[in-house]
Amino acid sequence: MAHVRPIATTRSATGIPTARLAVWWILASEVVIFGGLLGVYLMHRIGHPEWAEAASHTQTWLGAINTFVLLTSSFTAVLAHQAAEKGKGKEAAKLLGFTILGALMFLMIKSYEWYGEIVAGYTITANNFWSFYYTAAGLHALHVIAGAIIMGFIAVDAYRGRELHRVEIIGIYWHFVDVVWIFLFPLLYIAK
Amino acid sequence: MADTVADVHQHEAHGHDDHHHDQSWLEKYVFSTDHKIIGMQYMFTGIFMAVIGGYMAYVFRMQLAFPGISVPGFGQVSPGEYNALITNHGTIMIFWVAMPVLIAAFGNFLIPLMIGADDMVFPRINRLSFQIFFLSSIVLLGSLFVEGGGFGGAWTSYPPLSANGDYNQTQLGASLWLIAVALEFVAFLLGGINFITTLMNSRAPGMKAYDIPLVCWMIVIASILFMLSVGPLLAGAVMLLFDQTLGTGFYDPARGGDPILWQHLFWFFGHPEVYVVLLPAIGITVEVMATFARKKIFGYKLVLYTAVATGVLSFFVWAHHQFIAGIDPRMANVFTITTLLISVPIAEMLFVMIATLYGGSIRLTTPMLWALAFMAEFLIGGVTGIFLGASGADIYFHDTYFVLAHFHYTFFPIAIIGSFCAFTYWFPKMFGKMMNDTLGKIHFWGTVIPFNFIFIPLFVLGMGGQHRRIYNFQHFPQIAGPEYFQLRELATIALLVMLAFQLVFFYNVISSWMRGEKAGKNPWKANTLEWTTESPAPHGNWPVDELPTVYRGPYEYGHPDREEDYWPQNLPN
Amino acid sequence: MSENNDSHDDGHHINYRGIYFALLILFLISVAGPEVGERLGLPWITLVTAFGIALVKARLVINNFMHLAWEKRIMKWVLATSVILMFLMVAGVAPDVMNHEGNNWENLAAKEAVQRGLAEAAGYSDGEGEAEGEAELVVAAAGFSAATSYGQICATCHGAGGAGDGIAGAALDPAPANFTDPAFWNDPIRTDNLRERVLTVIRDGGPAIGVSALMAPWGALYTDDQLEEMVDFVMSFRPDE
Repeated sequence: MAHVRPIATTRSATGIPTARLAVWWILASEVVIFGGLLGVYLMHRIGHPEWAEAASHTQTWLGAINTFVLLTSSFTAVLAHQAAEKGKGKEAAKLLGFTILGALMFLMIKSYEWYGEIVAGYTITANNFWSFYYTAAGLHALHVIAGAIIMGFIAVDAYRGRELHRVEIIGIYWHFVDVVWIFLFPLLYIAK
Repeated sequence: MADTVADVHQHEAHGHDDHHHDQSWLEKYVFSTDHKIIGMQYMFTGIFMAVIGGYMAYVFRMQLAFPGISVPGFGQVSPGEYNALITNHGTIMIFWVAMPVLIAAFGNFLIPLMIGADDMVFPRINRLSFQIFFLSSIVLLGSLFVEGGGFGGAWTSYPPLSANGDYNQTQLGASLWLIAVALEFVAFLLGGINFITTLMNSRAPGMKAYDIPLVCWMIVIASILFMLSVGPLLAGAVMLLFDQTLGTGFYDPARGGDPILWQHLFWFFGHPEVYVVLLPAIGITVEVMATFARKKIFGYKLVLYTAVATGVLSFFVWAHHQFIAGIDPRMANVFTITTLLISVPIAEMLFVMIATLYGGSIRLTTPMLWALAFMAEFLIGGVTGIFLGASGADIYFHDTYFVLAHFHYTFFPIAIIGSFCAFTYWFPKMFGKMMNDTLGKIHFWGTVIPFNFIFIPLFVLGMGGQHRRIYNFQHFPQIAGPEYFQLRELATIALLVMLAFQLVFFYNVISSWMRGEKAGKNPWKANTLEWTTESPAPHGNWPVDELPTVYRGPYEYGHPDREEDYWPQNLPN
Repeated sequence: MSENNDSHDDGHHINYRGIYFALLILFLISVAGPEVGERLGLPWITLVTAFGIALVKARLVINNFMHLAWEKRIMKWVLATSVILMFLMVAGVAPDVMNHEGNNWENLAAKEAVQRGLAEAAGYSDGEGEAEGEAELVVAAAGFSAATSYGQICATCHGAGGAGDGIAGAALDPAPANFTDPAFWNDPIRTDNLRERVLTVIRDGGPAIGVSALMAPWGALYTDDQLEEMVDFVMSFRPDE
């Protein structure tokens, strides 16, 4: 079904294209959601030194590998943007595909990591450290999943040479997901 | 390559008329992406929820005035049911009436029209945001009918009461309530993106920032405030949901959690939230006043910057809701000062309204009466807030009916008076007919006068020490005496009268819609762009080649060298 | 759209690969740093490498991958506002949530939880049970008194004299237990395991012994010894016959 785009979408009184303007505002709201959660976690972590024992059981190496995976996927995402800017839809789609692969790897490693922790008894109710751990990482993982799905749709369009401007938009969102993890990693894994 | 793609889109984006001849009824009215229809959907949902919220108020006020009575249309009210009624009354009125009507309905309807655009920037996300909102309403209403009944832990949902099903006795209802509120937040976040982006980018050619009608600014500033304050609460709500359903201990002191954390997260949002609903109401009032005083707003920029300042300050006052919750007393000092400060910009906006009216050529139409009532009643609400903002006085007043009367004297003007003001003013543009002005005035007086008789007694009761959220005051001998009883009775009877007069409104709406006088394009002779198109506004708002261009500000009334006393924004000269 | 006049990186040739390698190097430092810091016993190394580098990495990604460095200023202000608001929130909340005591108040439950947790951790490293560690590291309030605690916590419902007539208790249904009533103590339901019942209900709340949840669990406030003292105090209301 062809959706008729209103003229409103094409105007740009600020000089910023509307889609990009929208994604910046979305990120502003996500900053306060994650910022709120992480700020709360940080306050508790500082006030509860006894959490160090629980935190010592997080698997730093798995977390580190995931950090590497996300960083690399951010790289492929920005290369996809570069390709889209030059009008190379198929190339952009390929690079978005690598980014999605990165997302899948991230999720698989996380599933493996969580499986091990849950089996060892470190469940979400084990103690408040673990409650925060699963909630924060879980919220982040939800954003990874949502981002990967949307990225899939955009990649399909890009492959057909359509809506190439959206590659940049999903890229910006994806970089944000990466930045959140950049902060989550030291907060959850390193602070022991 | 990209250029061609972009050009193709330019071509496609040239108007809606030709593409929509063969839309089914479902596509046109239920699954529409037209901002005006989506606005109507929010409006009708909001009105429906207002009826439910009003019914709840009726039931619990009957119980309060006549304890133990079998309330007609409900039956006897048990303590648990009483708690569920007051909880859901508050929740519904704020999240399912005030926000959907003032922001989502009028924001959706007005913003594209007033800035000369053919729709919102993201029509499909717009539709999605209504669908999520609609889902949230279903979930909330559903929560009232599950086992245990609706959530009874107050709209503020403090743990441990809200976290522990053994305490609140409404375990399923509590989780559904929380999910409904979270969904509503998501819907408004999405909607807000549309409003902000559309206002920033999609203005008509020639419309500079200071040519935008104030109501559009106010709705967008409100959306920004909402967006920036709701994040921590959304995180906190997920934590509360986990406490309720998974048995985590985020708010459980025995597990190292902290109930005061929830209070902080809630009010960090909760306070900006009241300005989220106040600013659009002020915007509406100011639009109506300019039109019916035939005079430009006294200080457009003043109002705009004051609104921004209010928004900023609103992030610094939240702990005045927690003065006696056990917060550090040094914080109470800080928050008292900021709270008293915030009354200044708001008072200033009221002064601007008075200055706008002064020397104006005033027409007392129904919308104008509502606008004037907003000013008068909100003034009382604001002034009584000063008592509560001072932490010393608040030690006495906290959790008494004084607080309740204060916030009804602010919320009622915002949500009810503001909505009626907007509705009666833009009805011609929405439905193409004029409302009956006589019936409108009868409805007006029948609402505003009884309103005062409901809540002034509650101020008195509050000062006398009557506590909030009590099911039966007979249990408390100190406030069960006849003078107290009479005040409660008076408040309840006034409520019955006010509710009865709402029937006049519904009759007026339906009969005007069906048989009312046809409205022209610009029945009020106003300047803003929505009045330059047909009534009701057609799909696409204007024919594609007639999208307006703007030459001046929105409030150019009463120019001495012009024949007419108004000067529409889109006229070249 | 405005693809053609998208000017955010016109003339600014960004070396994405270079940025990526810089990110990788920073990442390696941020993982290795804390190990070094731990071994050397210098926590500030961890702070600088783990968190400081996180800030640097984030800045690189935000400026160069998201192109915020070349975005219109208004959006930088908006995002900065979001971040500043988070600092504001933490500043306003931390005095109550991060601290466990302040001007005229003390969060006993949190302090208790910290002590318990630290004791358990010490117990693990000793390889012994937790009981010993716990007994030593108990929060010493200014001398525990069961009578004072009863007055602060129980009397509001159960009354200063234990007669179930506290001011908050008046509106409760069922009414709070009346410890001065012989019928209460002689009720067959509590003849067996009387002391245990009283201890359990104080520690775990009403539902633990099959009575109303209006009786809250208070176990977090007391050590085992203190609990025993509370039981003694409650039982002292029992009238002699």
